[in-house]
Amino acid sequence: MLDVNEQPLQLALSPDERERVKRGLGREPSIVEWFAFDAQWSEHCSYKSSRPFLRRLPTTGDAVIIGPGEDSGVVRLGQHAGKTYAVVVAHESHNHPSQVVPFEGAATGIGGIVRDVLCMGAHLIGVADPLRFGTSRESRYIAQGVVDGIASYGNAIGVPNVGGDVYFDARFDDNVLVNVVALGIVEESGVIHSRAPRGSAGWDIVLVGKATDRSGFGGASFSSLQLDAADAEANKGAVQVPDAFLKSVLMRASYRVFDVLREEGLEVAFKDLGAGGVMGCTAEIVASGGLGARIELDKVPLAEANLPPPVIAVGETQERMCWVVPPSFTPRLLAIYNQEFDLPGVARGAQAARIGTVTEEKRYVATHHAQTVMDVDIEFLTGGILHERPYELPTPPRQGSIARHADLKDLLPRVLADRDVCSRSAIFERYDGVVRGTTAIPRGYADAGVVAPVPGAPLGVALGLGGNPRYGALDPNRAAVQAVVESARNVAAVGARPVALTDCLNFGDADDPRQFGEFVTAIDGLAQAATALSLPFVSGNVSLYNTSAGGKAVPASPIVACIGSIADISKIASPALKARGSSLYLLGARQDALGGSVVARFVGGEQEPLPEIDPDQVHSEIALLLDAYATYAILGAHDISDGGLAVAVCEMTFGARRRGLGARVYSCNLWAKGIGTAGAWFGEAGGFVLEVADVAAFEELAKTHGVVPLRIGEVTETACVVLGDAEFDAVSLCEAWSAPLRGFYDLSEEAP
Amino acid sequence: MKPKIVVYVFPGTNSEDETKRALEACELDVALVRSDDKTSTAKNADGFVLPGGFAHEDRVRAGAVAAHDRAMDVVVEAAEKGKPVLGICNGAQVLLESGLVPGTSKARRPSAAFAPNIPGGRFRCVHTYVRLMIDPSRSPLLSALPKAAVIPAWVAHGEGRLAAALDELARIERDHLAFAYSAADGDVNPDAVPNGSALGAAGLINEAGNVLAIMPHPERDAWAFMHRYDLIAARTSQEALRPSGGIALFQSFAKAFA
Repeated sequence: MLDVNEQPLQLALSPDERERVKRGLGREPSIVEWFAFDAQWSEHCSYKSSRPFLRRLPTTGDAVIIGPGEDSGVVRLGQHAGKTYAVVVAHESHNHPSQVVPFEGAATGIGGIVRDVLCMGAHLIGVADPLRFGTSRESRYIAQGVVDGIASYGNAIGVPNVGGDVYFDARFDDNVLVNVVALGIVEESGVIHSRAPRGSAGWDIVLVGKATDRSGFGGASFSSLQLDAADAEANKGAVQVPDAFLKSVLMRASYRVFDVLREEGLEVAFKDLGAGGVMGCTAEIVASGGLGARIELDKVPLAEANLPPPVIAVGETQERMCWVVPPSFTPRLLAIYNQEFDLPGVARGAQAARIGTVTEEKRYVATHHAQTVMDVDIEFLTGGILHERPYELPTPPRQGSIARHADLKDLLPRVLADRDVCSRSAIFERYDGVVRGTTAIPRGYADAGVVAPVPGAPLGVALGLGGNPRYGALDPNRAAVQAVVESARNVAAVGARPVALTDCLNFGDADDPRQFGEFVTAIDGLAQAATALSLPFVSGNVSLYNTSAGGKAVPASPIVACIGSIADISKIASPALKARGSSLYLLGARQDALGGSVVARFVGGEQEPLPEIDPDQVHSEIALLLDAYATYAILGAHDISDGGLAVAVCEMTFGARRRGLGARVYSCNLWAKGIGTAGAWFGEAGGFVLEVADVAAFEELAKTHGVVPLRIGEVTETACVVLGDAEFDAVSLCEAWSAPLRGFYDLSEEAP
Repeated sequence: MKPKIVVYVFPGTNSEDETKRALEACELDVALVRSDDKTSTAKNADGFVLPGGFAHEDRVRAGAVAAHDRAMDVVVEAAEKGKPVLGICNGAQVLLESGLVPGTSKARRPSAAFAPNIPGGRFRCVHTYVRLMIDPSRSPLLSALPKAAVIPAWVAHGEGRLAAALDELARIERDHLAFAYSAADGDVNPDAVPNGSALGAAGLINEAGNVLAIMPHPERDAWAFMHRYDLIAARTSQEALRPSGGIALFQSFAKAFA
């Protein structure tokens, strides 16, 4: 046995944790066992620091079919032609790999999240990616690589990119954030769980996908380590290699298996291989069913001969999944992958292969050519560990806002060209947003993307995001509240009913009390807002240690995605202005607070408090909006966020360029009395700008919801934006907004 | 009996389902057939459609490997018999690589290519319109369209820029330019071209008019609910789900069998 304390093995386990492993086993672990515990007990797999806090999040609701705990969450969508459909959603980060090898890191991020959704028995209907880039020159190469990686992988597998957001901030220079969301559709009766079914002892464990190689060895531990430039080269070996072509075929072959399973009425289990590789996946799939496993590592198809057993056991080669099926079904399963879809002909060594058996005894046993290389109590292995981390709650500014003045004429073009406001089309045009032919509102046209995932049915699914790093840097708690509220508002703005949330929580070090305190207070903010809006979290992910070697953490980044359901796809709209003479209304009072706002960069107040948020009020506004859509009282709505009301009105106008419409907004003295002009036009207190066709019906509806909407202007027939007494040519404003990121691929240009 | 259409699915194809739906909405009997299929389904088909995607991973270059797939022997034979063949996006690339379109080489060699986009060879996904540039009576696939018809579609490709030698471009412009990128009102201008394509070409047709290769995807803007970003057009779910816009190309394709 090797003595790990003499460092022949590169393990992330702390000396304490190593002792606990030895005590638990009552002996010195084998090498394979060391690596197995290193992966299973990593922060990435075990949530050892975050788990107690995650319990504070609401996770139940009428629409929830599967909450957190499996590969993805599942939410009921609606019925059509006697069938009940559900949306499958997963949300993850791929931050560390993307910092080291941006293209592969981002591509494998998409690849992994797609498998999480696929493994629930679902067809993929969309992906989305919230991105946080730095501003240094090196960060721009990283940004390009990330965007190229997402494009290359997502486009090839034929899943439309339906949403995402992008922020640029120097505090992401050393730690890019690459989050990914994937959506799937499944008939409720066709959901496949990621746990071995009751009574499945004796069933086969079948591995399918790419042949196992050396790539991705140590991935789980790697993603829980701080990034140090000197280690970057060494870390590259821990990043997996994507194969979108193989995935495209794997997805289609798996869809075929789903059909056959349904015909045969079989209940089986299906799970993605992620952190911890073969060992992590097979251990969790049986352990969650209260069972054990016996795995023959020599049966795992290899890309190169003589891979050492630890690499076979925990290496994180991409594009692999695992089935638990009755032995009578195994030949059929193997035939679909290996003959009908000819995996070996698609990628060298790719195939489905039986690698083990489910056992009644709750042990995890791995053999290699009849030699036992691992034999442990499976609950000890997968039960994980808990670390009680000390934390210190931050004290954000909560008082001290003053009324500030903004010179509209001068500021509007500059705010529109700000790096957090300007058009992102140079980025999202790289992604196929319309493959599958189901996209109702493509990315970039509205606050949320919408797909109609069931051909012939009027059902729709919307995806909205929230997570503002300027907020996170200032006030992690309120940033979390805002992330929830913003994601729900984005979904409601297109006419979809918010039904569930997912989160990806990107923070600094768990062992730094101040950085961990940001995480803790953000959880409380998420819980508070989600509870007020009656929205459950159905899946999510925690990414800690987003810290550079110098100990600097990224801004607290709780990133939230909201799933919206649409019963009738004819009752949705983009925010583009639609009809001359209709009225513009404001929901959500303006405030003086400019903390974390874009305009504060120009007029000051960046470090002042964030705007107040009243989630209960937001709840009423969303209810009004959905009723107004249902009765066609409104033609469209736009969420107020980065750049405030003035930017929201401009964007509604830009969307109407072809129709030659413009907007006139009355003097802010009329609808933001007593508020400074900076807060009125550019303040980022949340809300909506609505285009209302039927004023009387809308105002009547507002009364029944106890909401007081303010009429702030009208839609005009000239391509102008008039804000109070400042008049702008819409075409030149649009140019100011469109230009900055056109040079995204041209590194000779200055960063916006 | 409805005409039988085979939509070929190569490894890496990703647009087969929406292509099938659009064809089915035009009263066609559609079968998805894998390119390695050994049954006789394909041989008996009345027409063929090659859908979008990344056939055989677009190894070498877009469409190059698929053009040598055995399935293409069936397509070539059908095309030479005058059966209608439509290639969309990756399918269009395969048709150029196989020499069926523009089909100016007697030895059926590729005489033009859909080359990497300008600028940067980068994939681009944008909404567009295409305008019919030839007399519709020249092709059974297009004869149901009005002259200078304008059809909405989505560009979603990294290699869609028509490139050919100058004399070949002149031949294409005269006889093979079926569709050019245009504004919504049909105005053909350089601003409407998303990829630097020579002649602003979006779609090419062979001499006989039975093989059409079109880069943008009309099937991705073929139902009323897909125009939501533009206007509230539909007031009921039935209206939202009716075929519309880009479906016009498939309706015209279906008329070729009448």
